[in-house]
Amino acid sequence: MASLIVSPENQIQRLNAVLAEVEQLQKLDLQTLSTPPGPKSWSIVEVLEHLNVAYGLYRQKLDQLLKDAPEIQKDSNTFKVRTWQKMIINIQRPKGGVRKWKMKTLKRFEPLLNRQGLDEKTVAGIFISFFDAHLHLKDCILQSRGKDVSQQQVTSAIGPLVKFYPPEAFEFLLSHLERHMAQIDEILQKKEVSA
Amino acid sequence: MDEEAYQKLKVLFSDVSLSQKEEEHFRSLWSIKKYNQYDLITEAGSTERYFYVVLTGVQAIYVLNEKGEKVVLGFSYSGSPSGAFDSFMLQKPSDTFLEALKPSEMLAINLQDYLSLFQKYPDFYIWGNNFFQTILFGRLSREVELLTLSAEQRYKAFMQRCPDELKVIPQKYLASYLNMKPETFSRLRSSVMY
Repeated sequence: MASLIVSPENQIQRLNAVLAEVEQLQKLDLQTLSTPPGPKSWSIVEVLEHLNVAYGLYRQKLDQLLKDAPEIQKDSNTFKVRTWQKMIINIQRPKGGVRKWKMKTLKRFEPLLNRQGLDEKTVAGIFISFFDAHLHLKDCILQSRGKDVSQQQVTSAIGPLVKFYPPEAFEFLLSHLERHMAQIDEILQKKEVSA
Repeated sequence: MDEEAYQKLKVLFSDVSLSQKEEEHFRSLWSIKKYNQYDLITEAGSTERYFYVVLTGVQAIYVLNEKGEKVVLGFSYSGSPSGAFDSFMLQKPSDTFLEALKPSEMLAINLQDYLSLFQKYPDFYIWGNNFFQTILFGRLSREVELLTLSAEQRYKAFMQRCPDELKVIPQKYLASYLNMKPETFSRLRSSVMY
């Protein structure tokens, strides 16, 4: 099986692409953002809120881990992801813009939004939280370029069976993010078809 | 901006003649930006905010290939222009990274101010013509070198023309720029005189 080598530059480039895409989503009207394509599906803002909740479970852990990591001058920033972690990451990663496996979301990751009470202010708040969270992620990736990231691991939000070194955690979060951007594309495509 | 920095800036714009008042205005449009070694000055996927003139340091401009490896397109150094120029002009996300390979000080001008120079002072069109001609001829020459010269010839040609400050950056950047493996670059460095 091919190894997965990650680099902060590649992660930053992909994260910037997602941030630009979400900036474009901000221009959509409230109805498009808050209407799910089906009764059991999420709307765009629910997807974004799920991403906010998911990142929230890593934020403090990453802060602490990077604070404790010793500074280091590195010639190369690449990192080889371990086999088990690679498998977990690849389950998340969409292939060709399509989600390979659909999976049931754990209760604690669900977006708890009142669908009837969604107004522009609430939606704007979800976007603000999204950018706050994911600019924090970018800052963590940038910080990691000058740190020894092979010393400590973060326990994943999935549970203690999965632990990540920071570059693996970033890759997991990015793949999860890309997975849900593919889901948003699907929501928008379904809307176009039904219009 | 101190006088030394301004004199460096003026060298790049030597085609432009301005009155004292115009010169004061021109000078006021630039700000100094400082970067630590290995800082990303411009990130791929973000939009370039400035056109730079380098005061000190060396910077590499690169893209990532499919494997995520850095492919170096060029360098900037003291006195040269720098930045992701296509992203700057078109205000679209950059495909390239600009990274400080040494601690860097750069003069920066934003797009609005850059464009205003052309509107206010026609001499900037002459500067622009000469500037882009130099850039184009440089890129053509590099393309010919990459397509026609052997690794050893590329190494020699580059080492003969490149400034000393570029010779001390990490070898992998120079190797990538010359489209060769770091091992090849290292072998040529120890065996080829230029």
